[in-house]
Amino acid sequence: MLGLGADLLWADMNRLLAFLFHQGVLDEQFLQLQQLQDETSPNFVSEVVNIYFHESEKLLRNLRALLMEKEFSDYKKMGIHLNQFMGSSSSIGAKRVRNVCVAFRAATEQNNRAGCLRALEMLEHEYCYLKNKLHELFQIEQQRALAAGVRYPVQN
Amino acid sequence: MAPCAAAAEFPVGLRVLVVDDDATTLKIIEQMSIRCRYRVTTCTEATVALNLLRERKGCFDVVLSDVHMPDMDGYKLLEHVGLEMDLPVIMMSGDSTTSAVMKGIRHGACDYLIKPVREEELRNIWQHVVRKFWNDNKELDNSGSMEDSDRNKWGNDDAEYTSSVADAAEVVKAPKKRSSLKEEDIELESDDPATSKKPRVVWSVELHQQFVSAVNQLGLDKAVPKRILELMNVPGLTRENVASHLQKFRLYLKRLSGVAQQQNGMLNAIPGTIESKLGATGRFDIQALAAAGHVPPETLAALHAELLGHPATHMMSTVDQTTLLQASIQGLKHSHAEHAVAYGQPLVKCHSNIGKNFSPSILTVNDTSSGYGTWPSSNNTIGLVRPNSSVERVGIQNNNMLMDILEHQQSQQHQQKQQLQQQSLIHDQSCSINVQPSCMVVPSQSSDTFQAVNSPASVNQDFSFARNAIIDYSLLSQKSKNSFSASQFPGGDTKARGVLYGYSTPSTCSTSSSNGNRQQLQNSTLTFGAARPLPSLLPMSDRKDPYGFKSGDLLDQVCFRNLGFVGKGTCIPSRFVENEIESSVSDFSQMKVNVDSSGNTRNQEPNFINIPKVSHPIIERYPSRDHSRVFTE
Repeated sequence: MLGLGADLLWADMNRLLAFLFHQGVLDEQFLQLQQLQDETSPNFVSEVVNIYFHESEKLLRNLRALLMEKEFSDYKKMGIHLNQFMGSSSSIGAKRVRNVCVAFRAATEQNNRAGCLRALEMLEHEYCYLKNKLHELFQIEQQRALAAGVRYPVQN
Repeated sequence: MAPCAAAAEFPVGLRVLVVDDDATTLKIIEQMSIRCRYRVTTCTEATVALNLLRERKGCFDVVLSDVHMPDMDGYKLLEHVGLEMDLPVIMMSGDSTTSAVMKGIRHGACDYLIKPVREEELRNIWQHVVRKFWNDNKELDNSGSMEDSDRNKWGNDDAEYTSSVADAAEVVKAPKKRSSLKEEDIELESDDPATSKKPRVVWSVELHQQFVSAVNQLGLDKAVPKRILELMNVPGLTRENVASHLQKFRLYLKRLSGVAQQQNGMLNAIPGTIESKLGATGRFDIQALAAAGHVPPETLAALHAELLGHPATHMMSTVDQTTLLQASIQGLKHSHAEHAVAYGQPLVKCHSNIGKNFSPSILTVNDTSSGYGTWPSSNNTIGLVRPNSSVERVGIQNNNMLMDILEHQQSQQHQQKQQLQQQSLIHDQSCSINVQPSCMVVPSQSSDTFQAVNSPASVNQDFSFARNAIIDYSLLSQKSKNSFSASQFPGGDTKARGVLYGYSTPSTCSTSSSNGNRQQLQNSTLTFGAARPLPSLLPMSDRKDPYGFKSGDLLDQVCFRNLGFVGKGTCIPSRFVENEIESSVSDFSQMKVNVDSSGNTRNQEPNFINIPKVSHPIIERYPSRDHSRVFTE
């Protein structure tokens, strides 16, 4: 029954992907990532996404630290962090995260601290949602690979 | 490092350095580059990247850099790389605002990619490497010696004098002249290496007029570059520019005076309206001509501009030369009429020199007729006149001249372009053209073919293929009524072999053919290089695909694809494009010839029938009208 299981899991994976696309969480760029994955780099997508998670969490921590400062004034630095966050998010196709970054950047340009705080909250929320969903996706992928008899590295 | 000399499949192996502080993007671009089979090196810090570039000079072809980086601004890196290593730098950023892009351009970026970068964009970056390489080489060419560089210049760029002047330079280079020429050469050579990257001066109409007026003021004998430069008072113009221009001008006048004597008789033959104002040369009554209303002043000016801008002079008939004279005279406010005429004269001079068979034909100044809309612009050495309403006034005489020129040019590239243009000329000039058979000198052709070309039927041929194609048509039509037998190439026509038409490659064509010809096409082993099949096949198009063959669509796509390549070729020097066309054409002819050998003509037909229907750039050069006329003669 391995084959059947793999097929079901494949269907699950596709369904999740379709859902994420529909929600705007992911966009075509994610598909580009998937296309870049091949036999020579079979884990490309998960590698890239892991790098993204790692970097993003660093950025989010920095952003929060900046905003939590008593005398916060360095909007410019926030802008720099945000630029990077925006760039990496768009590279993997995290559309919603990127959109929130755009709004966040607008708030920093207006030196609107309250607005920045709100944006940061939303950003963290979106990021967590994305991370969960991508984890789910990778789990299904992993199970499918196992079901299909393919060795697959365990995700963290 | 020469991209052309690199691996067989350029841009495979392109050495890319990617600099971006964002690890995610870096990884993605790295993977994309690997996919494109580039040799990629990644860097998260700009300073590290710079050191890498400095250490390993010549180890990279192109640099991709993010704009916003923590340790160094991307633009700064761009400047450094541009100055120190002169590599093409491509900026990347999520910022797509016009100002940001503009800033990139101002700092000298070759391109500006918006993140997220797609693989397709990455596949295209090689164009910047090639472009830079070619431009650098052209610069060096142009700053070389006068004689050599002029030949190159005329071969490549928009020089205002024909390649005949290059010939003249050789002719004129008699022993005693050589010394003076050499002096100027040495001058240029010594100056130029130091300024090898100096931008070339484009001698526009206005600039040239300034030059000519300065020369006239000084007097041709006394005109020295230094004084001319002073008189012209154009900022940025150097004495060397003026010197080389003056030399060319003098050569022109020399040729001019030689031709003018020759043409005295011809000029007088033109019904009374034309008189030359120069002593030794013929006389032109420009005013009379203008008054005759044959040539509207706008076209005169345009023509003048065209001629100044492009080496088109020898194309012109005497009538047009007079119009040119008028234009230049008007420009110079009549006070310099003599010199202006002198300037115009070169046209006559080159005309006859090129032709070598220059015979005075009576040219009728036709009314303007359109139809040159699709005239491909060319910077070829022969210097055909650009499409221009006044060009149509050129009688068949010039077509003959063209043919002569074509004969003497051995380059296939030029042949192809010129033949295309020439055919356009032919098809737009109908019965009013007075054809002079004697003007057509085609060494390897029999007189029969010549008559065929000169016959009105051929002249009316809209089919603007090479002249040889037309010859084939008439030959073939004479031979048999069966249009398909036209595909039986007359054995002795070696000329046609040199004619190339741009069409699709056989491999894809053959695979797209779904009617069982596949085997035959793929098995084609004939090496006949001429693309004559095309002319004979095109008449089929009139029959609207009688076979209802569907694979033609695929063929269309193939044609599109190939011509798409041609189109893409616009970003690389025309040489690239030409080669593609030639190779693909010869392949195509192989396919066609296969039809003959297999005898399975019927099935092959539909493939070719659909070709003319495809509206792609090359096909548009061959307006496929009235082909059947030739065959039904």
